[in-house]
Amino acid sequence: MTISEPLSLKNKASNIGFIFFGLIGILPFVAAFVYALLYSFGLVGAANSGFTTEFWISTWQSGAFIKSLVYSTVVAGTSIFISVSIALWLTLKFRKELEHPILAFAMYLPLAIPGIVAAFFTFQLLAKAGFFSRIAYAFGWITEARQFPDLVNDPYAIGIIATFISIVTPFLLLLFLNVYKNERVDELAQLSQSLGANKQQTVWRVSLPVVLNKTWTLIGLYFIFLLGAYEVPLILGQESPQMLSVLIIREIKQYDLSRLSEGYVVAVIYTVIVTTAAVLLFSRKNDVKHEG
Amino acid sequence: MDFKLIILCLLFWSCGDQNKTVEKDPLLDSWEEVTKASEGTTVHFMMWQGSPVVNEYINNYVIPTLKKEHNIDLQIVSGQGPEIVQMVMGEKEAGVKNSQIDIVWINGETFFQLKKIEGLWGPFVQKLPNATYINFDDPHISIDFQQSIEGMESPWGMSQFALIYDSLEVPNPPRNLEALEQYIKAKPGTFTISNDFSGMSLLKSFLAELSGSPNGLDGPFDAEKYEVLSKKLWEYINRNKKYFWKEGVTFPKEHSKMDQMFASGELSISFGFSEGAIEEKVNRGLYPKSTRAYAWENGTVLNSNYIGIVHNAPNKAGALQVINFLISPEAQLTKADPNGMDANPVLDLQKLPEAWRKKFEELPKRKYGAELSELSKNAIQEPAPEYMIKLYDDFRTFVIEK
Repeated sequence: MTISEPLSLKNKASNIGFIFFGLIGILPFVAAFVYALLYSFGLVGAANSGFTTEFWISTWQSGAFIKSLVYSTVVAGTSIFISVSIALWLTLKFRKELEHPILAFAMYLPLAIPGIVAAFFTFQLLAKAGFFSRIAYAFGWITEARQFPDLVNDPYAIGIIATFISIVTPFLLLLFLNVYKNERVDELAQLSQSLGANKQQTVWRVSLPVVLNKTWTLIGLYFIFLLGAYEVPLILGQESPQMLSVLIIREIKQYDLSRLSEGYVVAVIYTVIVTTAAVLLFSRKNDVKHEG
Repeated sequence: MDFKLIILCLLFWSCGDQNKTVEKDPLLDSWEEVTKASEGTTVHFMMWQGSPVVNEYINNYVIPTLKKEHNIDLQIVSGQGPEIVQMVMGEKEAGVKNSQIDIVWINGETFFQLKKIEGLWGPFVQKLPNATYINFDDPHISIDFQQSIEGMESPWGMSQFALIYDSLEVPNPPRNLEALEQYIKAKPGTFTISNDFSGMSLLKSFLAELSGSPNGLDGPFDAEKYEVLSKKLWEYINRNKKYFWKEGVTFPKEHSKMDQMFASGELSISFGFSEGAIEEKVNRGLYPKSTRAYAWENGTVLNSNYIGIVHNAPNKAGALQVINFLISPEAQLTKADPNGMDANPVLDLQKLPEAWRKKFEELPKRKYGAELSELSKNAIQEPAPEYMIKLYDDFRTFVIEK
């Protein structure tokens, strides 16, 4: 009796935890998804009149979703690739210097800046009437604001990518520095060198694989996060193509109420893609763990 | 057991309607009864809060005066066009009987959308004592986007769409499509069209010019006419967009961005409602003192903005009282002050008592902006809402994405 009581208490506590997780974490998500699905088929919505597949067909035919998906993937992928490269380079090259208290503090600082603020900073710096444009004018490199190159709302998403990099890199840098320390990569590197590996071999075959192997799930999640980013592309992006979240909100807020459902179609497809990607990411991670 | 209870409570809470006020129809009551029923109540007003002068007028004049004179608490909730429609639709879909909002500040396209989903309550306008000062024979007041208002929304203000320019930089601004083409070729990169309500209003002026007359778009939506005119319009824009801002590769999402670019000198022509809304921006130092406003030769849109009561407003009596106050000579006079909100009164001065008429006539004139009476010589009516919807879609398809 005295032994089973704490056990049942523990079970009860874990059950309550699970139910709360379901209520707060899963139920609203599933409910929202089902609602969006019903909306996309015209089954709910004050301006809809019943089941139809026309919104799915028109969304597919317009091509806006595919364009937006490709654009978002390229922007998020480029941002993650550059951020990972910079963070890895800094970790491998300057990890000792980065332990300095002032630098360590400076690394945390960008993490406290929300995306929307970072986007405004970028706009203030890179716009044609922004800080750098004014400097260029003061030095006589340009004579009019309009001569300054297009760095925000531009076709190559330079402003968006620059902002993403400034948000993601500090986070990845902290992550890599911790992994480097916890996995004792320094000692492994020394060992490999004592076994005859040169500096390059040590970096490419020991340090990088160890750090990346421990962090790729998080890098993948960050990629998904950037794929669905809203404020930064809203402020710094152009009108076409637009990143996925911006496209979804545009469709849902359009003037033609009879076509609001197209926004829900995009939201449903996007949710399915992202959820599948996240599940695959975690199941593969678990497989790796299991095999290990 | 406790846990089940919590879940049950949560379910009941989420399904229940929190505001249980049940009210009889105030349209059947006398105005004295409406006044009595509205005293000591709270009215929720969803409105656009993007302008400091509008906020100042509401917060420092309307709210305290309503409290003092009618003992009504006016609570402002931020939201405009699409947010209002989303809110009303969401509540309708969820079967909410008592809305979180009583009154909304709207214009034509929102009126069209709300009517489509039966989201407005009324007709109530004739119930308002101060409505006697409004000239409902004026088509710019009684017809909103070619739809008769039918007492379902009360006019609150009137404004004309105007183009603005810096008279020192552009001494002779373009007033028709031909002159605009020459202008942007001479000064490339200084003109663009925002992909929003204001930008579409400019396109309506262009479309009307292509129709050959200021009345060319009047009447119900004509799909055939639209096809012919819009084809010409997209051809004109695509032919010239390489001379637009950013060589026409992209367009500003919002008009507010154009304001900033006009202020920084990146653009030399901008536009906006409220006759270009330049008075306040010059006074704040945002625009140069040489900024001026003008109308397109063939006319720019002149329309009214309105206040509606949502179909499930919990405090309809209070809503009527607040709207009646907002269209009172006192409130409209304060609203018309050029150093304040600088909004054209929606009242017909000829219908006002002598003393009030004098006060309106003695108001100081604008220093920089054009007077509505001057601009309205070149005015067109708001075309039917379908023009706006089609322009939005086609501007994206045939210009932005091309």
